[in-house]
Amino acid sequence: MKKLLLKTVVVLLLLASHAYAQNRTITGTVTGKDDGAPIPGVSVVLKGTKTGTQTSAAGKFTISVGPGPQSLVVSFIGYISQTVPVTGTNLNIVLEPNQKALDEVVVVGYGTQKKQDVVGSISTINGADLVDQPVQNVEQSLAGKAPGVQITIPNGVLNTPPIFHIRGTNSISLGTQPLIVVDGVVSLTGDYSGGESGGNALSNINPDDIESIDVAKDASATAIYGSRAANGVVFITTKKGKKGDAVVGLDSWVGVTTVNRLPTELNTDQYIALKNQAIANASLSATTAMVPNYDANGNQINTNWKDIVYQRGIAYSTTASVSGGTDKTTYYMSANFGKQGGILKSTEFDNKSMLMNVDHKANKIISLGMKLSYSDQMDLAPTSSGSLSGEAYATAGLGRIAVLLPPNLAPFNNDGSYNLNPSTGALGTMNDKGVSISYTNPQVALDLDRANSEITHLASNIYLQLKPLEWMTFKTTYGIDYITSVNDNFFDPIDNFSGSAASNTASASLTTSINKRWLWDNTAQFDKSFGKNNVSLLLGNEQQGTSVDGFGLGRSILSDPSFNVIQAGFVNVSTAGLNLGKDYLVSFFGRLSYNFDEKYFFTATLRRDGSSVFGSDKKYGIFPSLAGGWEIAKESFWTKIGADKIFSSFKIKGGWGRAGNNSGLNSYSSYGSYGSGLFNGNSTLAPNATGNNQLSWETTSKSDIGIDFGILHDRITGSLGAYYNNTTGLILTYPEPPSAGLPGSPSVNIGSLYNKGIEINLDASVLKTKDFSWTANFNISFNKNMITALVPGVANITYTTSSLETANINQPSGSVGDLYIIKSAGVDPSNGLRIFLNAAGHPVEYNFIGVNEPGLGTAHYFNMDGTPYLTAAGGLNSINQTADASDYGNSTPKEVGGFSSNFKYKNFDLNVLFTYQLGFYVYYGTQATLTDQRFWNNSTIILDNWTTPGQVATYPRVVFGDNVSNGTSYPTDFNTYRGDFLKLKTINFGYTIPKPILSKIGIRSVRLYVTAQNLAIFTKYPGPDPEVSSNGTSNNAPGVDRNTAGNGRTLTAGFSVKF
Amino acid sequence: MKKIILLLIGIVVLSTYSCQKDQLYQPLPTSISNQAGAPFSTSARIYAQVLSLYSSLRNGQLYGGRYQIYNDVKADNWINSTANSVTAYQTWNETIQSTSSEAINLWAACYTTINNCNLFIDGMNAYGTAVVGTALAANYIGEAQFVRALSYDALLVMYCQAYSVSSGNTPAVPLRLTGNSAYGDFSAAPATVAQVYAQIISDLNAAETALPISYGSDATSNTIRASRNTAIAFKTRVYLAMGQWANVVTEANKIVSATAPFTATSGVAYALQANIAKVFATPYTTTESVFSEPFTTTETVGGQNALADYFNTTGTTEFYINSSSALFTDAGWKATDARRGFIKTTGTKLNLTKWALGSPYLDWANVMRYSEVLLNLAEARVNLNGPSDAQAIALLNAVRQRSDATTVFATATLASIYEERNIEFLGEGLKWQDLLRLGLPIPAKGNITATPVGGFGSTYIWPMSSAEQLYNPLIGR
Repeated sequence: MKKLLLKTVVVLLLLASHAYAQNRTITGTVTGKDDGAPIPGVSVVLKGTKTGTQTSAAGKFTISVGPGPQSLVVSFIGYISQTVPVTGTNLNIVLEPNQKALDEVVVVGYGTQKKQDVVGSISTINGADLVDQPVQNVEQSLAGKAPGVQITIPNGVLNTPPIFHIRGTNSISLGTQPLIVVDGVVSLTGDYSGGESGGNALSNINPDDIESIDVAKDASATAIYGSRAANGVVFITTKKGKKGDAVVGLDSWVGVTTVNRLPTELNTDQYIALKNQAIANASLSATTAMVPNYDANGNQINTNWKDIVYQRGIAYSTTASVSGGTDKTTYYMSANFGKQGGILKSTEFDNKSMLMNVDHKANKIISLGMKLSYSDQMDLAPTSSGSLSGEAYATAGLGRIAVLLPPNLAPFNNDGSYNLNPSTGALGTMNDKGVSISYTNPQVALDLDRANSEITHLASNIYLQLKPLEWMTFKTTYGIDYITSVNDNFFDPIDNFSGSAASNTASASLTTSINKRWLWDNTAQFDKSFGKNNVSLLLGNEQQGTSVDGFGLGRSILSDPSFNVIQAGFVNVSTAGLNLGKDYLVSFFGRLSYNFDEKYFFTATLRRDGSSVFGSDKKYGIFPSLAGGWEIAKESFWTKIGADKIFSSFKIKGGWGRAGNNSGLNSYSSYGSYGSGLFNGNSTLAPNATGNNQLSWETTSKSDIGIDFGILHDRITGSLGAYYNNTTGLILTYPEPPSAGLPGSPSVNIGSLYNKGIEINLDASVLKTKDFSWTANFNISFNKNMITALVPGVANITYTTSSLETANINQPSGSVGDLYIIKSAGVDPSNGLRIFLNAAGHPVEYNFIGVNEPGLGTAHYFNMDGTPYLTAAGGLNSINQTADASDYGNSTPKEVGGFSSNFKYKNFDLNVLFTYQLGFYVYYGTQATLTDQRFWNNSTIILDNWTTPGQVATYPRVVFGDNVSNGTSYPTDFNTYRGDFLKLKTINFGYTIPKPILSKIGIRSVRLYVTAQNLAIFTKYPGPDPEVSSNGTSNNAPGVDRNTAGNGRTLTAGFSVKF
Repeated sequence: MKKIILLLIGIVVLSTYSCQKDQLYQPLPTSISNQAGAPFSTSARIYAQVLSLYSSLRNGQLYGGRYQIYNDVKADNWINSTANSVTAYQTWNETIQSTSSEAINLWAACYTTINNCNLFIDGMNAYGTAVVGTALAANYIGEAQFVRALSYDALLVMYCQAYSVSSGNTPAVPLRLTGNSAYGDFSAAPATVAQVYAQIISDLNAAETALPISYGSDATSNTIRASRNTAIAFKTRVYLAMGQWANVVTEANKIVSATAPFTATSGVAYALQANIAKVFATPYTTTESVFSEPFTTTETVGGQNALADYFNTTGTTEFYINSSSALFTDAGWKATDARRGFIKTTGTKLNLTKWALGSPYLDWANVMRYSEVLLNLAEARVNLNGPSDAQAIALLNAVRQRSDATTVFATATLASIYEERNIEFLGEGLKWQDLLRLGLPIPAKGNITATPVGGFGSTYIWPMSSAEQLYNPLIGR
């Protein structure tokens, strides 16, 4: 009744006002309370209407308002919006800066600091920028979001850990991924899958639960993490509850992932024609032939194996959360349930996770809280993707056989059975003559095999905080991070047998790896101000233990081919996945921060680490840092020269410090030892490790200067940083001559390198009107990486992809992981032979068939005049990598970054993120596969092969069996390309349903959205994706694309509701 | 008061548990430190090390399979069927480069074994002899010397020119005789072929003296470990490769009786089996098996290393028989010869079934059979005394007639001895060694033309491991 009455009154009033309608013109000026200067571009809107305007450069506005009591809504970024009643015709409006923005805190080691007090280099990524993306782990969505951060997703396998570098590659042999600190606990990181899927440890964090990610880069911000901080530190903070009624959120999306940019290959007719031409060229037509095969309907078989291997992956994900609290207790809880199908058939990432954060203030002094996060993930894969590190040449690798298998063969026989070679279990050759295939029929593996991993991850911490005095805080935190990974592998007997199906070699393994970390932190924090002197001191002690305990069972030869579990009957039993280790770290640390009048800033940190992973002579390390900053905009001369008219803030800062890297070392790394084995049933004991008591952390000295500024009342904010990080004592597995016979190469602190670079980050509120706003971010990082010393006496260290192909080299004056390539000079138009260049640049032609040179043997390499290519000693010579390859350049990008724009029009919003990486090479080894002249299918690029004298062709005369001229035998420049790319990484388009409609049904907000990921790549790279690495996150063998399944393109649609 | 007590407790707990210093030194949970002679501290550890030397030699890259495979497929009796560069394709088509996995892996396997032997001999002298006593220590060191000699021999066969070229005065491989266990400068120039042979002979001579006469009735140990006669038998192979016929005769006479039936009259009683098939059947421990590498379900040779995987159809069948080779076009090798029993026809192709088992390939890998000693002796005698040497004829007939009673040789020509070796040891890794030591070209096979005899840089012998060339600046060549 009361409501009805009110409504009636309102209607009456409106009518009345309408009756007396008469417009007035109001003018006004908007100034900032902080400096009293006029603010341009401020949005001034008549409340309850769509009528509005913006202030001029002088901060003035004019608006026409109707009669009666009216008010204006005045808003500008960085200031608190005001609703000003219209009184008179000239208004002077003073906007108050948004204190929340000024009080914005960033997470630093063992606490938080006000953003403006930070003198270290830290980039903050807001949690809101990470939601609604079809990723399996949050690292995958950090690309292009912060300067100095390189994220490269190495393959299209689900939940694969990306290459994550901050300010370049700081190491050759050790890990180069940053230290990840989740809610104060140093998280386990890396790949925990023992199957064929990815198993990123950090996939336990639901992006929807992230409040913020702070990326600490320089010494001042990182050195407090001592011997683990050289690669930078990433702080991930999950959401906590806020005082108030419970807010229930529901976010749900569905999507589809498709494979991108696969090569176009020969169809059956083209394949048969080309291969038979090659067979004829090799004079093998009498014994060998590729022929058309026919299906049950009599149609010629034309199998696109890519369709057999790849799929459209269907994905969905739902997160529900509740948060709220009282004065004393706040809570945040969430649960996620999701399934994501990969681009490879039968691959899937199933996630169930929960998070609970509770904080309680017991009384004025004591507060306490806890976090509990649990996730259970199934990383499902049928068989090797051929894309993970070490798998590039797997004969069952799906990425490889999808492009390699002949199109004239089918996965099934005409009777519906699998097409298999009855004597080997490999793909059957049907009616082909003289061909033997050792590659598996992927259909069998996709249908029957498993290489799954189930990862359960428990991350929890509890804390107790005492605040006996306002300026004194003691805190003790105990945290755990437990990952259990259960890996279930099964190879069906149908295609895994030798001789006959009866003696099948079906095998199964089930392994469990239990990884535990505990951490106990005790800190004392003192914050006190003496007049304009603000002092803050942190003292702390930390202990951390990490252990791994792995064990498992392998079985082979099934008793009955219908079984497919390890618990069934098998003939043989073996152990699998044995692993045992324990590390311990104890540290004492401190940080002193001081500022005078928020103008002059100073921070020093010191940490002493003792760790079990270092050699017995080097147990303790000390890691200091010093940094200072100066907020010039607060100086009076700044105002005097008028700089404040442009710069609302301008802070110069710089620092130096030392940090270490021990990522990849364990307690036993420094030990020389003997291990046990078996000889005919009896135990053996043999050397298994070469020791070094001097083994210690790698040391990075970081020097850093930077400027943080705000222009036009922080309408544009930016930062500019330059750094020089010099790393010494690089641990190199010293490559002794193999004839030394050592049981593995010793690890020695011996090399050095540096990274130097510049980072630029700009944020701008480009436009803001009542209905439309546009904010934009641009960031770019330039990094130069250079190795300055390796092992004395050793010119270079090469690295091999999957134990077969050496495509990377590390050498002084080069950068980490340079490509190591043999140069070539096209195809000789006179005879169709491939021309390679030897080390001296001398052209040498390769003839696969060879010519018998009396007294020398069969020559395959010839000078351009047709004489055999000889050694100085007069023997036959060949092009080979040791002698003829050269450092082809860096395969890690020199420039990385991103730019994004966020548009809002009324209830619509649009987010566009581009990422780019520039200045690097990628060795497209898959192209060698695609042009190999064995029975392998080829890309259509091979059609430009040499057939007639005088013809200028891209590819040489095809000769069956030739795997040299195309580059399979060694990496060559004709398979190497620049990797520069610009990627339309994500587009997110949303519509928020207007509040008035929702409030009637008790809903706070509803947003509907569609997202596209990896929608377009702009690159000259011919492979599927230049963002690739066949060697996973390996830092010394990047930039190799060998048979890798590329990143998928994902489209999703979803909604997010808050009650 | 309560607060103060709590605070005190907190301080005590913190100061007690803030640093657990002992945790900074984690004991090795699954291996034994190499410091202070720990691996030599008990007789059990020393014995386990002795067995590890054999285990190292048994590596699938070495005598466990690939060494024999390379020796066979590098010659002319095989046709490659898989064109897989991981499984000896390049060995077969004579395109091995220094970066080829064969050249790298065999090199590394040999030297790992050599260094383990060196470390063992050094450790026994420093610590172990005192633990096990002089007699047993001598036995063990003899075994290490035997294993070292076999490893050096494999290096000479694959990477070096024959002894007959300039009497071994050609560069060979680095000769390493002391154990390496920690980081240091290990650059070393190659020794000459003659020097390496001298070391092999010196090791085998020392082993002959030091090794036990036999392991008694333990037929397994007699087959998989070295006793005195094993060292002697290998000397006949090495001296034959050096063309030192008189030495072959001297050594062979120690373990071959003067007349048929030929046996070793002391030590392990080597003798031909009546049926050759028995040598390749379980338990693989006949007195004909001079030295073999054992495999069990828990000790397999590893993927793509097994003889059966290459030659039989129970695995990938990497190779099938070259039916146009000299061997398979030899009319003198009768269809009734028992050794034809190892040849199986699959479709149009022939395969070898000496090693019959499929994965996990538990057939033992033969390294040396007594019939080789007999033919070594016969060949040496013919070289010394001509083809009508009576013992040579008897030896040749002993080997032939065991499998083909209908053929009787009246003279023992070198050609007939070579052919007998070709038949007898098909798949067992002697064919390339024979071509090399005799200075013969590799005959053509399939679409591969004949490879003439050549030195370094030719396709005739393998280049050294590229890793050695990169990391050993003194290696030269």
